[in-house]
Amino acid sequence: MTLLRSLSFRLALLYLAVFAGSVAVLGGLFYWIEVARPLAEIRSDIRREITALHEVHRRDGTNALAAALDARVAADAPRGAYHALLDARGEPLTTNLPSWPQAFAPGWKRIEADIAREGDEDEYEALVLDMELPGGLRLLLGRDVDDIDELEESVSDTVLWIVPALLLLGVCGGALMSRVIGARLDAISGAARAVIEGDLSSRIPLRGASDDFDRLAATLNLMLDRLEASLEAVRRVSDSVAHELRTPVARLRAALSDIHDRPAPDGIAQALAEATRLQTVIDAVLRISRIEAGRHAIARRPVDLSALLADVVEFYLPEAETRGQRIAMAVAPELAVAGDGDLLFQGFANLLDNAVKFTPEGGTISVAAAVEDGAVRVEFRDDGPGIPQDLLGRVTERFFRAPDTAGTAGLGLGLSLVAAVADAHRSTLAFPGSDGGFRALWQFPPGTD
Amino acid sequence: MHILLVEDDVRISGYVAKALREEGHMVDVASDGKAGLTHAASGSYDVIVLDRMLPQLDGLRVLQALRAMEDDTPVLILSALGGADERVLGLRAGGDDYLGKPFSIEELVARVEVLGRRRGQPDLPGCYSFGDLAIDPVARIVTRAGKRIDLTNREFRILEYLARNAGRVVTRSMLLEHVWDYSFDPQTNIIDQHVSRLRQKLDRIGGEPLIETVRGAGYSIRRRPA
Repeated sequence: MTLLRSLSFRLALLYLAVFAGSVAVLGGLFYWIEVARPLAEIRSDIRREITALHEVHRRDGTNALAAALDARVAADAPRGAYHALLDARGEPLTTNLPSWPQAFAPGWKRIEADIAREGDEDEYEALVLDMELPGGLRLLLGRDVDDIDELEESVSDTVLWIVPALLLLGVCGGALMSRVIGARLDAISGAARAVIEGDLSSRIPLRGASDDFDRLAATLNLMLDRLEASLEAVRRVSDSVAHELRTPVARLRAALSDIHDRPAPDGIAQALAEATRLQTVIDAVLRISRIEAGRHAIARRPVDLSALLADVVEFYLPEAETRGQRIAMAVAPELAVAGDGDLLFQGFANLLDNAVKFTPEGGTISVAAAVEDGAVRVEFRDDGPGIPQDLLGRVTERFFRAPDTAGTAGLGLGLSLVAAVADAHRSTLAFPGSDGGFRALWQFPPGTD
Repeated sequence: MHILLVEDDVRISGYVAKALREEGHMVDVASDGKAGLTHAASGSYDVIVLDRMLPQLDGLRVLQALRAMEDDTPVLILSALGGADERVLGLRAGGDDYLGKPFSIEELVARVEVLGRRRGQPDLPGCYSFGDLAIDPVARIVTRAGKRIDLTNREFRILEYLARNAGRVVTRSMLLEHVWDYSFDPQTNIIDQHVSRLRQKLDRIGGEPLIETVRGAGYSIRRRPA
């Protein structure tokens, strides 16, 4: 039965059982305090009275006992006093009870104590101890317990009526709850099924109540957004890789077909060059996807960023000097970040590679790094032509090349790799525009060292 | 040299074994971890090329088992696993060198040959001489025809690394790894710039060019009688 398998229904039943249990415990407690305990007190009171009356009877005789009994009735007590004193033949010597059981049976009994008091006929209930006295006398001595009986009745009414009503209502409520929650869950699993079937644009509808389910649905929808975006990115990347490889493959094919027709050493050299270029592109793309795929598992060792930047600059110094460029360094000492030194070196080397490539002869490249608001901030800046503002957002796309750099060698993968390295280090890479030249700003948030 | 190649991908092992044999080495191939360990433990190999991901027994396990048997045959680890600090893990497990897939065959051959050298002669700093060039690694002095040549620290380390591996090819990424202490495939001609400056300084005094460019692979200093 599906209802029994529903968690919300089961929870409702559990809650109900706990609630019914508490009602039962409360009822029992109430019964003990208001019924059982007062009755026990009344019994012990009556026993005490009997002890005293015994003493009167032994010392002063039957008449004195009868007088004492009458006096007890007249006395102002919180509970009405009842008695019947019978002689050996069963005739009453004194009584205020309308009737009593004829046969003697020692012990406690309940007796109807209807009493005519000032014209009103009241029904009372008395708790009476039936006993024998010396000389064949029989004494029934008791007290009014009508109020206690009423309480007892209401307690048992509660148990008899309220608990079943509660159970019925609880089962209905549980079923209702299960339906309501089930409908919300169905909406979520419906969307999930649509995604499984391939519709990645499917989303879980929100009620707008911003309750737990809406928040869950919003989180799941966000997850689907991310998934859809990254799948879209993967699709774009594979498209662009395929597109990018088409041209060298076509040229390779043409070169090979030339050699096939007319073997020539320069044709072979051309084919080799095309094959090498192909390999370079494939290796570079692979390297970037490796970094992206492994970004949750990169090394997090302390890296002396100041020394690393000095190494990067030193690495490029001969190339820059050959081009008549100057590299100005303003790196604060002992900047520390956590990460993979090899990857960081590659990342910074790629930034500097671009700067050296695009800065004209005699130009200046500046590398600056310092701590700002707890974050390590590295800035690369060059004197080159820069990149138009509207294209800055696309520079980390694979195979992106600035429009007027057709003459400069490059695959358009350098900054993609830098972005992958920055992402793997949970650092941010930005390309704020500048008046001239290209500017890259790489920031390591505090707590990454 | 006698080389053991442990690799489960038949195409890669065929291609690598062929290239190593062309260089005049004897190559045994094992295609899973267990067979690899059996071979490695029984044979006396000069170098073992060990793939990281292997059926039966993982490459790192093979390496650990081998090292536990106090076998110190140089091991080159091949790995296609990206990013995840694989290089450090491999070296920590007792590997002597690491090469990430995809690799160029020239790179692999160069690294295997350099590893094979290490077995015989430990890296003790001795003096090297090539014709009229003498290198004293302790005093950090280089002379050619008796004249002292001033090198930057980096240039000296490039020369020393080439000299130590004289007669073998040193690739650009090997230079980056041992001279700059950064490990990745450089894919730029920047290292060439450093080498060409070193060359200029060495050859300025005259004499035969010392450092050769090996097309498609890297650089080499030819061994010659002192």
